[in-house]
Amino acid sequence: MLEHFHVAEEDEVRIMPDALRKTVNELFVKIGFSKQDAWQATDVLLLSDTRGVDTHGVSNMMRRYIAGVAEGFMNPTPNWTITRETPTTANVDCDRGLGIAVIPQVMELAIEKARDTGIGAITMSNGRHAGMIAYHAMMALPHDMIGYAITAGGQSMPPTFGAEPRLAPNPHAWAVPGDKEPPFVLDISSSSVAANKIELLRRMKSLTIPGIMADAEGNPIMDEREIPPDNIVLPNGATRELGSHKGYGLSAVAQIFGGILSDGAFGPYEGGHMSHFVAAYSIEAFTDVQRFKESMDDFMKYLRETPPAMGNDRVYYAGLPEHEESIDRHERGIPLHHEVVEWFDSATDEFNLSPLER
Amino acid sequence: MLEHFHVPGADRVMIRREDLFKTTADIFAAMGMSREDAELASDGLVTADVRGCETHGVSNMLRNYLQSFAEGKINPTPNWKITKETSAVATIDADKAHGLIICPKAMDIAIEKAKKVGIGAVTIHNSNHAGMMAYHAMRAMPHDMIGYAITGGGAVMVPTYGAEPRVGAVPHAWAVPADKMPPFVLDISSSSVAANKIQLLRRTGANLPPGLMADEEGTPIMEEQEVPSGVRLLPWGSTRELGSHKGYGMAVIGQVFSGILSAGLFGISVPPGNGSQFVAAFSIDAFRDVNEFKGSMDEFLTYLVDTPPAKGHDRVYYAGLPEHEETELREKNGIPLHREVIEWFDSETNRLGLESIRRI
Repeated sequence: MLEHFHVAEEDEVRIMPDALRKTVNELFVKIGFSKQDAWQATDVLLLSDTRGVDTHGVSNMMRRYIAGVAEGFMNPTPNWTITRETPTTANVDCDRGLGIAVIPQVMELAIEKARDTGIGAITMSNGRHAGMIAYHAMMALPHDMIGYAITAGGQSMPPTFGAEPRLAPNPHAWAVPGDKEPPFVLDISSSSVAANKIELLRRMKSLTIPGIMADAEGNPIMDEREIPPDNIVLPNGATRELGSHKGYGLSAVAQIFGGILSDGAFGPYEGGHMSHFVAAYSIEAFTDVQRFKESMDDFMKYLRETPPAMGNDRVYYAGLPEHEESIDRHERGIPLHHEVVEWFDSATDEFNLSPLER
Repeated sequence: MLEHFHVPGADRVMIRREDLFKTTADIFAAMGMSREDAELASDGLVTADVRGCETHGVSNMLRNYLQSFAEGKINPTPNWKITKETSAVATIDADKAHGLIICPKAMDIAIEKAKKVGIGAVTIHNSNHAGMMAYHAMRAMPHDMIGYAITGGGAVMVPTYGAEPRVGAVPHAWAVPADKMPPFVLDISSSSVAANKIQLLRRTGANLPPGLMADEEGTPIMEEQEVPSGVRLLPWGSTRELGSHKGYGMAVIGQVFSGILSAGLFGISVPPGNGSQFVAAFSIDAFRDVNEFKGSMDEFLTYLVDTPPAKGHDRVYYAGLPEHEETELREKNGIPLHREVIEWFDSETNRLGLESIRRI
């Protein structure tokens, strides 16, 4: 993540992953999740926070999930069902279940299909927030498969040349195993920044970053100024000249594979309705697994050994910074904003749980 | 395409699609391809011109192809074979086949598999340049399938924070059928512009717009200037702050599905002129009722084009719509080619003893 999205040191409280896991898990159980679903949902949030993907970790998401159940638009005990199926595909109705609990179970099914035929791909309707979708893609890694995940829904981003948001910055994530190198894990929103990074900027009292949002009339904001109350995230590329039609296009592809292919959903999402899509590609079906992984190692090394551009000291590949961050956060704890820790204290107090351990 | 990539009016010669198709097929056949393969390759190339994707049409590509034939990098009569296969996937050794031949054939295999099991995906190595990837993806649409196509490539683009090109400007293309609306066809390179758009800028004498290339030290060039020498494309997003890691990442994942998955090929390990591709077909019926899906696509695409335009713009498009409209125009009025390209055609048809290209 870029420096300006980090929690300032004077505001951070370090929490060890196990302590955070315990409290988050207890909160999910308290709002009615089954033991298994609570574990699963917690695991997704913890992976985001340990990998440094703070936008999709507990800070932004946990209070929303609790509100979602309290307000009745999220079903804490979903009975998700398969509505159509072939050897490689399925269509799943998520029964308003939280994505971070339901999608991993569906990904298991895609992996089963890929084991049998080479590929498994499943579209999902009637879902709720998917969390960090890299998690779902990464589930394929231990099975020597390439994982893919999309989530789509809502509207906060305008089409290129548009003045009104008609799509969301729908993300795509791919996960590819290496042998000794940390895996390649690409998780990209189709906007310049994920929508809730703007929320994070606001919390940090930062200014706008040129090229990431438009004003309420759809004009790209290309300078630094206070974040306007009404804003729209821009497709990645910012302007047509720099390729905003690619971000717009990737968002539409996600909406098609998730929403249109499952039940035709697009546009404003009522009650937090989200659509998802996951796929698993068995490497063994295409080529020798060991050869593939060694080639991946060679490729990733070749990339990170690129001579750095002036003013930079390293070149990365997707998933490498997150891997390193994860090692660091397991040792030193997860830096949460003190305001988030205070929220946890009030929540554990309300639900009669022991407070989050520092 | 952006205005600065168009052929200037004074240099335009108009050619009908069928005439361009015939001469291009004649040239491919003269290279030793069977008539059937020559027409397949010609259709792919000319479709790019008809859709207004000049960068991947005859102007830039055909002379490169002829050179590759001459250097033995393209085999006009390949004995390609499937080296690994399951009900849903296959791996193809293309025996140096032209990408414009092997990709449609691989897509046909993917479509057959998708008919039986829902999805088909084929990875291809030891092929060559594959033309406009949208062409291969679009092949799935008449079968009520979603098409997907990727081509890997040599190192022309710098990684984010990198000073040396190490990845291709690897494009991904998706084609999705609708009912009455023109189909959604997204064909995007993972760089800010396709590598051969730089070639087009050099030919038309235009300046380099900001955000497209890095200088020799790897610093993104963010102000308009003359086109520098060398090829150091910036990933889509241009700078890390604007999301260049997304373009860089899309290039890597494209290389994984084409080069690494088929034969472990990337960057320096790609032999000169060697190409790798990945094509997939997703049967809509395997997920949802086809007519309902197409109806939803129409509604979605209508919703997008009906977005109120931002100040200074009169319309909002979706991917594939401008190309569809351009096709209708060019089918009627002909394809505008640069006169220098026509002169090249004349010298080649003359050299090969073929009929010269017919003008309108």
